[in-house]
Amino acid sequence: MAAATSTEESFKLAIPDADLELLRKKLDLVRLPDELDGAEWDYGVPLDDVKRLVAHWQEKFDWRKSEAKINELPMFTRDIEVEGFGTLNAHYVHQRSEVDNAIPLLFVHGWPGHFLEVRKILPLLTAKSPDHPSFHVVAPSLPGFGFSGAIKKTGFKGPQYAEFLNKLMISLGYNEYVYQGGDWGHILGLQAVTHYGHKHIKAWHSNMPLPGARPSPVKNPLIFLSTVLSAFSQEGRANMQRAQQFAQQGTGYSKMQSTKPQTLAYGLTDSPVGLLAWIYEKLVIWSDKYPWGDDEVLEWVSIYWFSRAGPGAAGRIYYEMANGGTGNALDGNVWQSVPLGISYFPGEVVRLPRSWSHLIGKLVFEGEHEKGGHFAAHEAPEGLVGDLRKMYGKGGPAYGVVPGKDGYSA
Amino acid sequence: MASSDERPYSISIPDSELDFLKKKLELTRFPDELEGAAWNYGAPLSDIKRLVGHWQDGYDWRKSEAALNTLPMFTRDIEVEGFGTLNIHYVHQKSDVAGAIPLLFAHGWPGSFLEVRKLLPLLSAGGPDHPSFHVVAPSLPGFGFSEAPSKPGFKGPQYAEVLNKLMLALGYEEYVYQGGDWGYALGKYVVTNYGHRHVKAWHTNMPLPGAPSLFKNPLLYLGMFFLSYDETSMKRLANMKRHRTKGTGYFNEQATKPQTIGYSLADSPVGLLSWIYEKLVSWTDEYPWTDDEVIEWISVYWLSRAGPAASTRIYHELTGGMTHDTDQGTVWTSVPLGVSYFPKEIFQLPKSWSHTLGNLVFESDHDKGGHFAAFEQPEAIAGDLRKMFGKGGPAHGVVPGKGGY
Repeated sequence: MAAATSTEESFKLAIPDADLELLRKKLDLVRLPDELDGAEWDYGVPLDDVKRLVAHWQEKFDWRKSEAKINELPMFTRDIEVEGFGTLNAHYVHQRSEVDNAIPLLFVHGWPGHFLEVRKILPLLTAKSPDHPSFHVVAPSLPGFGFSGAIKKTGFKGPQYAEFLNKLMISLGYNEYVYQGGDWGHILGLQAVTHYGHKHIKAWHSNMPLPGARPSPVKNPLIFLSTVLSAFSQEGRANMQRAQQFAQQGTGYSKMQSTKPQTLAYGLTDSPVGLLAWIYEKLVIWSDKYPWGDDEVLEWVSIYWFSRAGPGAAGRIYYEMANGGTGNALDGNVWQSVPLGISYFPGEVVRLPRSWSHLIGKLVFEGEHEKGGHFAAHEAPEGLVGDLRKMYGKGGPAYGVVPGKDGYSA
Repeated sequence: MASSDERPYSISIPDSELDFLKKKLELTRFPDELEGAAWNYGAPLSDIKRLVGHWQDGYDWRKSEAALNTLPMFTRDIEVEGFGTLNIHYVHQKSDVAGAIPLLFAHGWPGSFLEVRKLLPLLSAGGPDHPSFHVVAPSLPGFGFSEAPSKPGFKGPQYAEVLNKLMLALGYEEYVYQGGDWGYALGKYVVTNYGHRHVKAWHTNMPLPGAPSLFKNPLLYLGMFFLSYDETSMKRLANMKRHRTKGTGYFNEQATKPQTIGYSLADSPVGLLSWIYEKLVSWTDEYPWTDDEVIEWISVYWLSRAGPAASTRIYHELTGGMTHDTDQGTVWTSVPLGVSYFPKEIFQLPKSWSHTLGNLVFESDHDKGGHFAAFEQPEAIAGDLRKMFGKGGPAHGVVPGKGGY
């Protein structure tokens, strides 16, 4: 099947000088708040961190250097039609393995993530070896994020994201493929598998297992019982306490973005330090003591600052998926029989009882890790890829799911 | 009697501050907007663009400043146990009537001392037919032109201490209290800690009762189960639910990560503008805001002494970082309480529940007005206070020797 369609274009980042100049001017005029004595992380991002990062942004961080390195990735854009929303221009990384029959894998980021989260796993996934499977990797910027086009109208929800993602893979000649995601990548994975499971998506993997609903004592008696029992283990109790703490004290960003993303957008679009703090808070709190470098952080934030739709657009996914805050992004998802693999990372934000993974879908693989948090592909690339290799490799529970593409050289 | 700490206060923002703001406005970068978003996703782009344009070209801060400086404003140092001295800014309007009732007016967020402006002439006016008031309207610590606390832990009792000490310092040993928004929440602490002895009665336009409890309010509690609520109460509960679901993102963020959102508010004029303007419109009853009014309101935050980020911390302190209610430690007291209900107030609970807040002696209903009642409906608030405290009213003469006539 022919892969390329007429709208695909090779893509190189080239942020205009004028944009860099505006950023420089804004940083020169930054006005910082004060801070309560001894606040540390109790009230949000500490002032010392922000001061240091702003200074680095002004004096040391070299966007053109980052840009040149990013441009070494094989990036493209192409138009994708989404019913009711016209044409969206998709930006994506597309790296084929030298193994012809490599497994096509779609990698989907979340918030405040982006396509560059694929960077470290890219060489590992595409590498050829007799000992493990290889993958062709497609890692898009979701609409409204990174360098994909902006969504223009209200109502772009789960089915639309799924349609966008599936059409991208098909347009690249991957009629059957596997899916990997965390954060929104997980939630959209549920949507994708619901609409395109089996026919197109043959298996999927998540590093942020969240089910659509709690176990019911009637429908899921064993899981329900196992949950009750897990409350008696130290780890179970600790996880539940953490989950509760997150729900109570860690969801301000989500409540804002799911109800008033436009109000929030003004500050995030206009203020580099405002955007920096908003994102950096999660990079630190949601990772497992990952040793962020200042350049790393600023490059990450720059993807948002220079994004095609503007930094204010990304938060709208929360609004659309949760019905303007009246619902939950996971509402309505039902168990799917497409084979599912889960990786558990200790620093993930919400750790529910492992038995709940069975509520999401047909669980065929589980991998447990000692280190790594929410941004697993970035923090623990070998860990994540190791799990995918086990899941899809010879002898693995999802070996050969994509007919004719088992990931090994013939 | 005035202490030697009191100083008359004139706002005098340096030119350099205004130049700096101008430079920042010139660099404003706007987001896009979804077609048909209207107000559903937050403050609309066309409103914000128009307001930023006005801020740059039409609005004159010096004119606002000059007008504000005709108000009788002062500052004085107030000691707060464990927090040292805070320099507090306040409006102090005495009435010509010697026996006027001392009244403390407390604002909230995103309010300010500006909210007392329209009430001042009405409350302090003398007349045979209604009581008069001496009015004290401070900037709460961390707001307007008052200093902010510099350490964590400045909670309800501390705010109450500042407010009470301010009144005492002005020679008002006994006084009455009026407030909405945080002015209401802090009122509960003021009344719990200084009720009867100093605070003789209080009034709020934003009653926020908890649900009746079996032990504290048995009749109301049982009523919840056995009596159906009338249509008005049901409508109020529905409005409340809608606000809780769709309108409290700001509350949650400010109560958990005020520093994080503080960076945007301190650095971005348009970020601050939209954050506050959204509430000015959605919390009022179609109040016909002029652009000048809006920008003046925002300017008090942008140019505030402690900076705009400081004003958000009250949410964190008063909720324990979202771990408890805002009235923790306050109690029901028999201090006379008056409540005014405005149709577009954001918190709407069954009116019968107001009895759980205190010794309810006065209630008043209005057809028009929202959250910023003193600003939107000054005659209504003044009218209610006059009825409550006037001759024949339920709280007449609560302050001995200061009946208001």
